[in-house]
Amino acid sequence: MASSIDPKLVEELAAIVGVEGIVSRASELKVYECDGWTVEKSAPDILLLPRSVEQVSRVLRALDRKGIAFVPRGAGTGLSGGALPLNAPVMICTSRMNKILTIDYANRRVEVESGAVNLHVTNAVKAKGFFYAPDPSSQMACTIGGNIAENSGGPHTLKYGVTTNHVLGVELVLPDGEVVELGGAVEERCGYDLVGAVVGSEGTYGVVTRATLRLMREPEGHRTFLATFPDVESATRAVSRIIASGIVPGAIEMMDKLILRAVDDAFHVGFDQAAGAVLIIELDGMEVGFAECSSRVIEMARAAGAKDVKLARDEAERQLLWKARKRAFGAVGRLAPNYCTQDGVVPRTRLPDILRVISQVSERYQLSIGNVFHAGDGNLHPIILYDEREAGQVERALGAGRDILKACVEMGGSLTGEHGIGAEKIGEMPLMFSPDDLAAMMELRHVFDPKERANPGKIIPRPGACVEVAAPRRQVPI
Amino acid sequence: MSEHPASAHRDVTDYELLFDCVHCGLCAEACPTYVATRSEMDSPRGRIYLMKALAEGRMDLDADAARHLDLCLGCRGCESACPSGVKYGRLIEAARVFVECEYRRAGFDRFRRAAVSVVFPYPARLRALLMPVRILDWLGLRKVVRTALPVAAREWLDLLPRHGTNSTEANWPAPGAIADDAPAVIVHHGCVAQVLAKSENANSERLLAAAGYRVVKIPSTKCCGALDLHAGNGERAREFARANVLAISKLKPDAIISAASGCSTAIAEYREILKDDTLAPEAEMLASKVKDLSSLLLERPLQFSARFDCVVTYHDACHLAHGLGVREAPRVLLRSVPGLKLVEMENSDLCCGSAGSYNLTEPKMARELARRKADSIAATGAQYVVLANPGCEFQIAAELRRRGSSIRVMHLADFFALAMTRGAKQNR
Ligand SMILES: Cc1cc2nc3c(=O)[nH]c(=O)nc-3n(C[C@H](O)[C@H](O)[C@H](O)COP(=O)(O)OP(=O)(O)OC[C@H]3O[C@@H](n4cnc5c(N)ncnc54)[C@H](O)[C@@H]3O)c2cc1C
Ligand code: SF4
Ligand code: SF4
Repeated sequence: MASSIDPKLVEELAAIVGVEGIVSRASELKVYECDGWTVEKSAPDILLLPRSVEQVSRVLRALDRKGIAFVPRGAGTGLSGGALPLNAPVMICTSRMNKILTIDYANRRVEVESGAVNLHVTNAVKAKGFFYAPDPSSQMACTIGGNIAENSGGPHTLKYGVTTNHVLGVELVLPDGEVVELGGAVEERCGYDLVGAVVGSEGTYGVVTRATLRLMREPEGHRTFLATFPDVESATRAVSRIIASGIVPGAIEMMDKLILRAVDDAFHVGFDQAAGAVLIIELDGMEVGFAECSSRVIEMARAAGAKDVKLARDEAERQLLWKARKRAFGAVGRLAPNYCTQDGVVPRTRLPDILRVISQVSERYQLSIGNVFHAGDGNLHPIILYDEREAGQVERALGAGRDILKACVEMGGSLTGEHGIGAEKIGEMPLMFSPDDLAAMMELRHVFDPKERANPGKIIPRPGACVEVAAPRRQVPI
Repeated sequence: MSEHPASAHRDVTDYELLFDCVHCGLCAEACPTYVATRSEMDSPRGRIYLMKALAEGRMDLDADAARHLDLCLGCRGCESACPSGVKYGRLIEAARVFVECEYRRAGFDRFRRAAVSVVFPYPARLRALLMPVRILDWLGLRKVVRTALPVAAREWLDLLPRHGTNSTEANWPAPGAIADDAPAVIVHHGCVAQVLAKSENANSERLLAAAGYRVVKIPSTKCCGALDLHAGNGERAREFARANVLAISKLKPDAIISAASGCSTAIAEYREILKDDTLAPEAEMLASKVKDLSSLLLERPLQFSARFDCVVTYHDACHLAHGLGVREAPRVLLRSVPGLKLVEMENSDLCCGSAGSYNLTEPKMARELARRKADSIAATGAQYVVLANPGCEFQIAAELRRRGSSIRVMHLADFFALAMTRGAKQNR
């Protein structure tokens, strides 16, 4: 029970959110002790489920008075421990603030509460031929607030950009309870891009309660190809050629041999089992342009070494390909009792190099590593398979992951494409940033959260910070 | 409570199966109880986490844990959503056995559950219990008596269809001759369904005959065991399963269906339930024959003699959609009716709250889900809601009745009986 929290404050909080909106019994809080990254666990002392910005603001004001830190949480699908409470006794979950407030087709924007589920936004505007572009594979569950915090992307990021390109404005409750509006309804803004600063801040600036998002027009049509290659090198060659040619496909996704085997074992999609890699290439846009683009894509894939390039004949076949891609991770669970994934980025042209490094790492650590990723933007998701019951495998898996990330940074890439730094990669931040860089980031953070009470212990490393690390059993991929 | 709840739960659950869950949370929005409460203790991921903590002895089975497990509908919506292939149905069945053994519920809750367990699987007992209601309906006095009842009893009473109201005036032409080598189909009449869903069973058989199937009858039908399976009474579920396997397998059916989709999935699960039994081969055979009415009717298309101009929406019964994976067949079949317009409702596969006997044991949540379902239905502007499970039929009909709605709720078998016989009537 709320060990570190004064019972009076608990009463005050309960009065704000109502008895239905506060959870304080240990057996119930257990469920909130981790997000999609299960390596570390720590339950909050109190969970609040507010229903309005007023409630959030009053809660933060009360916490501020007592100097108590908090962690925001959306759907808890994060893969880097962003919603893990570290020295934050109170968790504020937006799951009940999930309304879609106004839809403005004429100006192509939609206003939502931050707990709205990503896919529900698209579902609400689909009938009129619109969609919300950032489409993380977790879109059936993750929230817009979580997407904003992590600057999430998805397969269609290649063409449409990540979350930051689609957020016009946010309502943010600062850690002292003040409600601020940043950005707004119009696209052209003057002054500093404060919305841009909030996107990707991983909950360290306060609680986002509302957002205005850009809507996109559904493209007139799609052409989705399955290209089969003898090895990953030729597949990545094809990616570079296509992008260099000036064609911007909606998505280019790659799966290697190991993943193909897993997917086919599970779902019997009928992939060529002799293949070394496949690409799913999707063109979207106006019907008139397809004929020429399609033949050029096929040509380039062939020239790069593709054995076979197939066009999905109808929507059902297209959906099947996407289902295979999006379900790939579930299938991997069948290959080994445990796996963990990384989220590094390299410049597209270095894809063959990093894949070579990954296969060396795999040999060095004696662990199988599968690759399934957003090839178009060089965003890797190597999946490291292991069995925690074998002595030393957990450590080897973590070590392999670290080596891969290091190589990404050395090639001019990044530690994370879309999953965020969170608690997971905080130790690797110095690989990318100098102490001065980190200090400057901390200063920016202090503008919003001078007392460091919003999601403490995330993104920016502090010497001496540590948590108890439990042995991972299995981790979620993508 | 036992001294070692940890090992006890580990004994009844397949511990390894818990590790199929990678804690990704993608199932949350597919879970009706999460959609209603929006707290993760009532989500599949949360429940699996509780089960795991119980199995590992990191937690006691306290009132909270029992509550969140009890609140699970067993609808298996999470299985359809899960990319990792978690066998949630098996996990929750095991957890229920554990809760039954280790936890003593508060007075009224215990009574309610015991009453269901003692009466429902036995048609004769249910008929006897319902006799007074039948008499009231016959005298037209249900409304009057209802007001004198305590709330809980009133809610139970409201779920009961008025006597005679759910059967279709079937005006069937005489069935044509059926070939000797036509596939043999058994309609399992269920336990509760035997009493409350007579027309659904009868019309299923008539439709199959009209489509040219040979309908084979079971001399006397025993409960399939689903109620016990879902209430944590594994022992009696096995007994029922054995009785059914013995009675049915010797009839050598080519297909077995049920008007209640929960019964169909239970029979499909006999291969699991009886896997260590001497009857395992027969159970496996029987399980492999489980089909659904709409798929069979698609294989041998019906002839409609008249148009049926109407707007219909289709509700996915949980065990049909999530258990047997049947979603398209009923829709294709509906669209084949000349004049019929099918309009999809939002979240058609989110449980209506009926869930076997759930609406009797967890009336509050059941009612909340019924309200949501009725809202989605009303938004379609449909005249008919068609569904393939009597439980959903009673639950949704009760909610629509409360609203004074004129939308008609019909079981797929009754609806197609109507579609078939309308023409016959007009032609005469
Ligand atoms: C199977 C699977 C597939 C995935 N695929 C992708 C993918 O393709 N692309 C991708 O980018 N990500 C992906 N992810 C990661 C994850 O879904 C995203 O990071 C998502 O944006 C997290 O949203 P959430 O609502 O679950 O946030 P949570 O996990 O609850 O929180 C994430 C972070 O956001 C903060 N936060 C949440 N809400 C607020 C708020 N209202 N105000 C301030 N801070 C807040 C939290 O403090 C935390 O730091 C995947 C995850 C899984 C499990
Ligand atoms: S049950 Fe499946 S979808 Fe839900 S959290 Fe577990 S693995 Fe993810
Ligand atoms: S069976 Fe239904 S109610 Fe139970 S956890 Fe799964 S989706 Fe939720």
